[in-house]
Amino acid sequence: MTDSAASRADGLPLETFTYDDAIVRKFTLATFIWGFVAMLVGVYIAIELAYPKANLGLPWFSFGRLRPLHTNAAIFAFAGNAIFAAVYYSVQRLCKTRMYSDVLSNLHFWGWQLIIVSAALTLPFGFTQGKEYAELEWPIDLAIAVVWVGFFGTNLMLTLINRRERHLYVAIWFYIASVVTVAVLHVFNSLVMVAGPLKSYSWYAGVQDAFIQWWYGHNAVAFFLTTPFLGLMYYFLPKAAERPVFSYKLSIIHFWSLVFIYIWAGPHHLHYTALPSWASTLGMVFSVMLWMPSWGGMINGLLTLRGAWHKVAADPILKFFVVAVTFYGMSTFEGPLLSVKSVNSLSHYTDWTIGHVHAGTLGWNGFLAFGMIYWLLPRLYQTDLWSKKLCSAHFWIGTLGIFMYWLSMYAAGITQGLMWRAFDETGSLAYPEFIETVTRLIPMYWIRAAGGALFLLGVVLMGVNFFMTWKNRPKEYAKATHQAPPLAKKYKPEAAYSSDLENVVGMGKKLDEITSLSWHRRWEGRPVKFTLWVVVAVSIASLFEAIPTWLVESNRETIASVKPYTPLELVGRDIYISEGCYTCHSQMIRPMRHETERYGEYSKPGEFVYDHPFQWGSRRIGPDLHRVGGVRNHLWHWDHFNNPPDITPGSIMPPYPWLLVDDLDYDVIPSRVRAMTMIGVPYSKEDVTQGIEMAREQAALIAAEMEEQGGPAASETKDKKVIALIAYLQRLGTDLLNPVEEEEPADGAEGGE
Amino acid sequence: MSREHDQQGAGNDPMLLDHNYDGIQEFDNPTPGWWHVIFIGSVIFAILYVQVYMFGPGSSEQDKYNIEVAQHYERLFADVGDLEPNEETILRIMHEDDLQRFMPVAEAIFTSKCAACHGALGQGGTGPNMTDDAYLHVKNLEDIGTVILEGARAGAMPAWEKRLHPNQITLLAAYVAKLRGTNVPGKMKEGEVPAPWPEYEPAGN
Repeated sequence: MTDSAASRADGLPLETFTYDDAIVRKFTLATFIWGFVAMLVGVYIAIELAYPKANLGLPWFSFGRLRPLHTNAAIFAFAGNAIFAAVYYSVQRLCKTRMYSDVLSNLHFWGWQLIIVSAALTLPFGFTQGKEYAELEWPIDLAIAVVWVGFFGTNLMLTLINRRERHLYVAIWFYIASVVTVAVLHVFNSLVMVAGPLKSYSWYAGVQDAFIQWWYGHNAVAFFLTTPFLGLMYYFLPKAAERPVFSYKLSIIHFWSLVFIYIWAGPHHLHYTALPSWASTLGMVFSVMLWMPSWGGMINGLLTLRGAWHKVAADPILKFFVVAVTFYGMSTFEGPLLSVKSVNSLSHYTDWTIGHVHAGTLGWNGFLAFGMIYWLLPRLYQTDLWSKKLCSAHFWIGTLGIFMYWLSMYAAGITQGLMWRAFDETGSLAYPEFIETVTRLIPMYWIRAAGGALFLLGVVLMGVNFFMTWKNRPKEYAKATHQAPPLAKKYKPEAAYSSDLENVVGMGKKLDEITSLSWHRRWEGRPVKFTLWVVVAVSIASLFEAIPTWLVESNRETIASVKPYTPLELVGRDIYISEGCYTCHSQMIRPMRHETERYGEYSKPGEFVYDHPFQWGSRRIGPDLHRVGGVRNHLWHWDHFNNPPDITPGSIMPPYPWLLVDDLDYDVIPSRVRAMTMIGVPYSKEDVTQGIEMAREQAALIAAEMEEQGGPAASETKDKKVIALIAYLQRLGTDLLNPVEEEEPADGAEGGE
Repeated sequence: MSREHDQQGAGNDPMLLDHNYDGIQEFDNPTPGWWHVIFIGSVIFAILYVQVYMFGPGSSEQDKYNIEVAQHYERLFADVGDLEPNEETILRIMHEDDLQRFMPVAEAIFTSKCAACHGALGQGGTGPNMTDDAYLHVKNLEDIGTVILEGARAGAMPAWEKRLHPNQITLLAAYVAKLRGTNVPGKMKEGEVPAPWPEYEPAGN
């Protein structure tokens, strides 16, 4: 007997209602538009890596500023709107109710688009918090929290509470997990000290900041790009295939194991870094354990198509879904593989990671979203899809694009990783010049750009199909009405399975009952309780890792010679962050001989205690910079910023001529230093009150030294932005090498490690 | 069974559950056996791995690194011991046949540390040309070592004392000394021309 029949038996009258498809139309259109923009920017910056002159010498188009725009647009604008379209379409139908509030739905839609627009208006101008995928400055972060929790989350929960379908379908479990966890991740990673209208510093420093950032960063992948898309898959794939889902049991097990295990995995982004190794070990083993929970989703997706493969051959929408789910399987095998420390020692900082990420985003997120859009178009616009052929063409062109992207990045990543670690027979670096390991990749960068361009072309074809289908829409949309009885006031849970095993003790029976999973059916009837259990699952794991990272004193051993940045160095660091230098340069030398031979002594946790935010980076498109302080003179940096290829032939670093002509704004110094003081950086009162004079003095000294080295007249250069940046670079990594003066000898020895 | 579902075969299949969400139904298939095996296997692996690497007796990543570095220098310098950057040692490295094996070592260091300013072949760039016979701060062989160790001209030439192994500095000095007179076209001559490097007289001859 089904629920509706049961309710009817309770004598509840049928209620009539309609679904809000207008909001789904809005989110679907936004998915396409932002998808196009995100991928266009992606192709553009891919070309910049192969051909740096493509940035036309404009600050706003430089790689460091546009890369965050690409990632944020792809994740939050493209994938975000796709998620919302899926949620708003499927939840109404799965719960047999209209969304709780059309007003909240629309506030959500317009609020989110406004956030995206403000991202596009701040990132290219260098307003950034300098943490990957969390670059948006604090006012936008606040808006995200309001829109996500206040509008989206509230609307969704109230809709679930007002549902007319007793049990929550598996897609909704995944939506709940996404909404709750993303909110927690976003809030805790975005805690900052405000230092100006569009400027802030992370509350956390160094090791802690890195830990929180990758707890966030990895789980952005988990709860923004994985769980909501699994929800999407669980609704649209069986709908399109018209087949029952393969295994309800598998849904339950893989859902809970995924939600519980995923959250631990973040530290695998920080293997061999200054993060304590126990944390990265946990990150690794939980990533390995995550393999099968992830594959549970793939199995349920692919085996749902059992008996429908003839449909896949004929239907491009199902083809999109099959490739998407297959890429999900491949990426979630590769993820655990890359999290194994010894593999990671090769892959980290290389394009292998970039290839891995794009297999997931282009293959899984992209193709799932495209399949959904093509399935929705005729239903939303109440007419036939304009061209199935064009849809098919999109599929094949897109698939080719993904493979070109993916394989070229593999080749590039492994090539570069092996070149970095290669020694000759004397044990010396086989490729001592970093640039050799860059120029070798240029052909692969062109293939990647071409692959990306093909993927983008596919999206353009989808745009044409979208537009033409929309054009053929009826004058007025038919408003279908639906009928269902409300839920009975009191939930009478179904009888739990009672074990009929014979000849076993009580505990055996109990185990049999638990493994039957019949208890879960009752949870599915209680959305609030269900949500609370999800919160428990993700919180336990987070706290297990986070608390020791904070409390264990040895995790942030202090080094006596490490001192806060001078006011000038601090604003220089702000320029480093604002130009997005961390998108190409790491500041984290791993304890490996090939790294220390190339860059110098490996990085220690205590060196980063004043780094709000940390700038360890995740990719070495250029060399590591942690020990760059003092190994080049000022003039070298000046000339290098002016035009890197003049100094390093073949360099793909863009020129930064604007830093050589723009004047430094000294007036921001007091507010910046004061903000740092508020989060525990031990600046003196003079550093705040005299900060401007101190900075001018240091800048004049650097400019004078640079003139002596054969540079331009100090009077011309001393107030330029680049001087502050040079001051910061010259400081990087040097504190460790300079023993403390006028201290106990024991302390002094510590610095000379 | 609901009449709303639109799926083929539904209703006839004993495995089909009594679930129906907007027409989506679910099978009661068991989870695949191999899936369980690998999942449980990964959990066992995790427990063992943590036992061994978190609580086990093994050395840390840093310890392993330190050992590797020590072994490398041991292998490289075992038979020559400490190399001081004095005239005699520098000359020996420049001329003695069995020490020429250190030239590729020095070259790799030069390429990774010095080439950025002095050019890959020593032809100069931001820094002076090393291949002519003029020098800014060098009057004799020992001065080369001193300049590398301490730097020169208020940081125009950085100090490498804390960044390189002492033997590496001496090897580098010998490598740079040998560049003299190779006259690679590049930066113009700067500074004074010191007396030619002394002739090498092998010890015991």
